[in-house]
Order: sequence, then structure tokens, then C-alpha cells
Amino acid sequence: MNKLLLSILLSISVSGTVMAGDLIHIKGNTQGRSNHEFIYQDGCQTCHQGSGKKNATDKACVECHGDINSIPVDESKLAIPAANPHKSLHFNKGASCLACHAEHKKQAPVCAECHRTWFKEM
Amino acid sequence: MQDRRNFLKLTAGAAVGSLAATLPGTVQAKTCGEIHWDENADVIIVGSGFAGLSAALNAKRQNLGSVLVLEKMLVIGGNSAVNGGWLAIPKNPIQLAQGINDDSPEELVKDQIKSGRGMQNDAALRVIANRALDAYHLCINTGVKFREGFNIQVGGHNKARAMRTQHGTGGDITTKLYEAGVKEGIDYRLQHYIEDFIMDGQKIIGVKVRKNYRFPDLTTGSTIFIKANKAVVLANGGFARNMALRAAVDPSLDPTLDCTNALGATGEVTLTAMAHGALPVHMNLIQTGHWGSPDEGGFGWSNALLSIGWHRGVAISVLNGKRFMDERADRKTCSEAIMKNRYADNSPAYPVVFFNHDKYAKDDRVVRALRDKMAWKVDSLDELAAKFNIPAAELKRSVAEFNQHVKNRKDPLFNRKMDTAEVLTGPFVVSRIWPKVHYCMGGLKTDLDARAIDGRSMAPIQNLYAIGEATGGIHGEARLSSTSCLECLTMGIVVAETIKADIQGAV
Repeated sequence: MNKLLLSILLSISVSGTVMAGDLIHIKGNTQGRSNHEFIYQDGCQTCHQGSGKKNATDKACVECHGDINSIPVDESKLAIPAANPHKSLHFNKGASCLACHAEHKKQAPVCAECHRTWFKEM
Repeated sequence: MQDRRNFLKLTAGAAVGSLAATLPGTVQAKTCGEIHWDENADVIIVGSGFAGLSAALNAKRQNLGSVLVLEKMLVIGGNSAVNGGWLAIPKNPIQLAQGINDDSPEELVKDQIKSGRGMQNDAALRVIANRALDAYHLCINTGVKFREGFNIQVGGHNKARAMRTQHGTGGDITTKLYEAGVKEGIDYRLQHYIEDFIMDGQKIIGVKVRKNYRFPDLTTGSTIFIKANKAVVLANGGFARNMALRAAVDPSLDPTLDCTNALGATGEVTLTAMAHGALPVHMNLIQTGHWGSPDEGGFGWSNALLSIGWHRGVAISVLNGKRFMDERADRKTCSEAIMKNRYADNSPAYPVVFFNHDKYAKDDRVVRALRDKMAWKVDSLDELAAKFNIPAAELKRSVAEFNQHVKNRKDPLFNRKMDTAEVLTGPFVVSRIWPKVHYCMGGLKTDLDARAIDGRSMAPIQNLYAIGEATGGIHGEARLSSTSCLECLTMGIVVAETIKADIQGAV
């Protein structure tokens, strides 16, 4: 699955206009992430168990991306080395993906509640 | 016939499905309807801060059976994960290595009694202080790292006994307790919001929970019922983020005050416990720090930065460019003076505090404050006046006057002790200040063994326990710094022992 993910990421970054993870129009009023376009072809069920009205959980994220500690973060962009959100001094493994990442809208990560200048909406 | 512990009668209202599900209310074991338990656990712990994580680990290690931790937010750790990582331990190894041999649990309690101003619970403080070394060992054996050789005297303590975690955050403790618990088979759930307790008379037998809840929207997620075979431990923390409750219990607490706490410190579970008869005490005793900054979230860097500013610098009103208080007075005096700074529409006119930059340019307290833009470097008083819209002539006059007072080592305006004050020459480090609400001394009344007390009978509610900031009456008027972490960790140990004893007593 990770290989598939990598090839999708590569094909998107080569195409140039949209960056992987950008918020794009999917259908109707729904926006989603460009690297997840292929997921929407199967409807909502990949992430929302049973129905789009039910909240998604981390399970769908982790299946493709791996768990929080294993997903690399571009360390050159961190405010300070200790500010790595995937190895957070406050939460480490105890953070849900959803604490920082939103699929259908832009959202500031939970860290920004206190560290206002360190992180942007994404 | 069904075992009534598996199927319990509910009110009609709570059983009417979707409408009732969006309106969390009191469930009474009275009329029609039945509870279908979706899950069960031997011990259910509400909240995942220091108290909840310690209780979970100790319950597991006391062999109390399955342990389920319910956290409503999207992260484990509650407010503890963003706390400053200070922990008071009398007779800790670093303290002993420093040659301080005259500290003891009783010495700590003596300080807390003074700070509690007669409202504290001496016996409860003793229970906690006497188990301090157990709390320390709990940390060490789960891999928590403290700063080497670091043990200092902090406000209100008569001895150097405050250690600090490696990175200066409670997260150093919560992450380790959590990861140890996962390894030992504890089940932790995020996004599980307690809607109500399920009571069988004077005994709690389970909880009604909104699963997949997204704070703060009560319409999210769906309702499930979880049976608690042996105990429910309330470790849900304080309510400093609950503006309506804050205003209800202490009308003098200004609504413009921000809060140092994580957003989830809203106290609904405490209110639910009260609805079922649990006795609240000291709810109006809410601790405020005058050292907050409006330019950062949480506790932030401001307190540490002001440890320079209050001594080496000066606090100035942006309204008139004048000093307005003894910068070194206690937090209550300063809070009141700061909050008088208002524009005509009553909105806060955040005062500024500034001190000489160059001497402290490399001090970490300054470096990080400037880096994170909660403080700024300005080269002159004109620049300072322009940046914060302060009358420049008045500002200059005030600083010249202050500098004269520094030279005279006497402050005729506010009688500040001037031994640490410095002549202000610029460039300056400047930050804005406004108090922040910090801690709730009030909460649920418990006995010394963490059993929640029913206010009607003044007897414990069977199988219901409460620990940590969710409880009240322990610290009295003011909690000393570095003692909350101690209380939470310790009472997590105590509550597990109490549950074990109660189970054995019941057999």
C-alpha cells in the first residue's frame, strides 16, 4: 500500500499544478485532498464507516499512511527541532490524526492553540 | 428474567432515540425502556491527564481487571500534556544530592496549609505528601526523565523541592504513562464524551457516552452505553475553560481573562456528578495568574519572561504612558491593577512590560519570546510608543522618572523594592500582559481515599471515585505551584488501592 501511495504522490507532484494534499473540489459542496482523489471514486465508505454522516476515525488514515511516529515530517520547516508534530513532546503517540488534519476543510493543528506562530492552517 | 445489571430501566425521554441523544440529560432508573450495554469494563476512568493516566496504570497493576480510559478530546493528556512539568517531591534524590536533608512531607504540608488560608484539607494534603516518593517512582519506572541536578525552590515553598521534566512540559509524563499503559493492556479511547451516569440507586453502574464526539459539537457522534463492573473514576480535570460556569461561581472573574488550560477543561462531568448528588465544594475558588500574555496561547512563555521584566523592567499603561503598580507585588494585587487598564468601551488596554535587551539578549527566556512573537525588540521609546499607541511624551517622562527612582533605590510612587531594578536605556524587550485563569481549587468532595461524597447522605456514592483537579477542597484558597502534578499522580495510586479494598470489602 505504501508503494501505491508513493506512486500516487509522485504522479501528482510531477503534474505540477496541484500539490499533494491540497484542498480541491471533489463534487457538489464537498472538498477533499488532491492525493485522496482515488478514494472518492469508491464513495465515502473508505473513511466513513457505513455512511458519510458518521465521523471518520484514524483507522482509514493509518491503513495507508502508517502510524504517527512513522510518517516523516519535513524538519527543515519546523520552527525549532523540538516542534516535530509527529513526535510531539506533549502527545507523541497519543494524538489522533484528526487533531491536526482535516480532509474536507483547512484546519490549524492542535499545537497552534498555544504555539500560534509555529504552524499554519493546512 | 434479565439480570438487572445488564438491562436497566430508563426514563422514556432518554429512550426516544435521536432527539434525546442530542440532549444530554439525567438518566434515571425509573420508568420504561431498557439499557442495552454496548460494552463493559471493570474500571472506567474519565479523563486522560496525570490523574486519569496514573489511576489507569495503577488499577491495571492492582489487577482490578479490564481498564478503559475515556477522553473526550482528540489527544491523550488533557491539560497535563501542556502543563509546565513541575513536580514537588520532598526528599527526592536530586534534593538529597544537593545536601538538603531537612525536607519532609510534613514540611510541604506546612507550606500548603499557609497557602490554603484555612480552607485547605490538612488530612488530604498529608495523604498526598506522604505518597510523593511513590509518585516519583511511578514516573521513573515508566521512563519519565527529569532535568539532571535540577531541583529548585518555587513560590510559596520553604524548601527547594520542585523538580522539572526534561523538556519542561507535563507531556514528558503523560506520554510515558500512556505508552506504558498501552503496553500493559489498558484500553484508551479518544472522542468519548460522557453524557450521563447510569445509576442504580446510590451506586454508579455505567456511563452513557457519545462516541466519535468532535469537541465542542454535542451533535456529533453517537450514543453508547458502557457498563462499569467495579468502578468509575472521575479524573476529568478543572473547568477553567467553561466561561458560563466560571461566571456563575465567581462573578468577579472578568470575562476578558483568557485561560492557560487546554480547551477541554470545561468540567461537564463534574456537573453531571453534581446532578446525581455528588457534593461540590469551593467552586468559586479559581486561581488566576497575573503573568499572562494576550499574544500567545496556553501558559506560554510570558511568566518566565516577566520573571525578568518585573525585576529589571517596568510596567506601563498604554492609555497614559504611566506606571500603575508595584511590579513585584503579589498576583492578586497585580491582577487587579492590570485589569483596571480599559478603553472607553471597557475592552482591555493591555499594558506593556519592558526591560533592557542587550544584557538579556542570549537568555533563553528572551530568545524564545522574540522568536515566537509574543515579545518584540524595539530600539527606542519613540518606537515603543508608536508600536503600542502610547503617548510618547508621557512614556519618556515616566521612564526618566523611573530611572531616577532606580538610582535612588527608592520608589515613591508604588513603594516597589528597587534592589533588582535597572536603569532603562534601550534597546528594549517588550511584551503585553493580561491575567489568565489557571486552576480550579474547587470541585467534587471526596473522602481521603478518593470516594466521591453524596451531599445528601454525606456518604460515598458506591463505586464512584474522583481524583485530581476534578476534586475540590484539598488546596483551599490557593494551590502552590508544582503540587497539582503531585496530587494527580499520587491520588491515581491511592484510588486504585481504594477500589481494590472496596471490592474485597464487598465480597
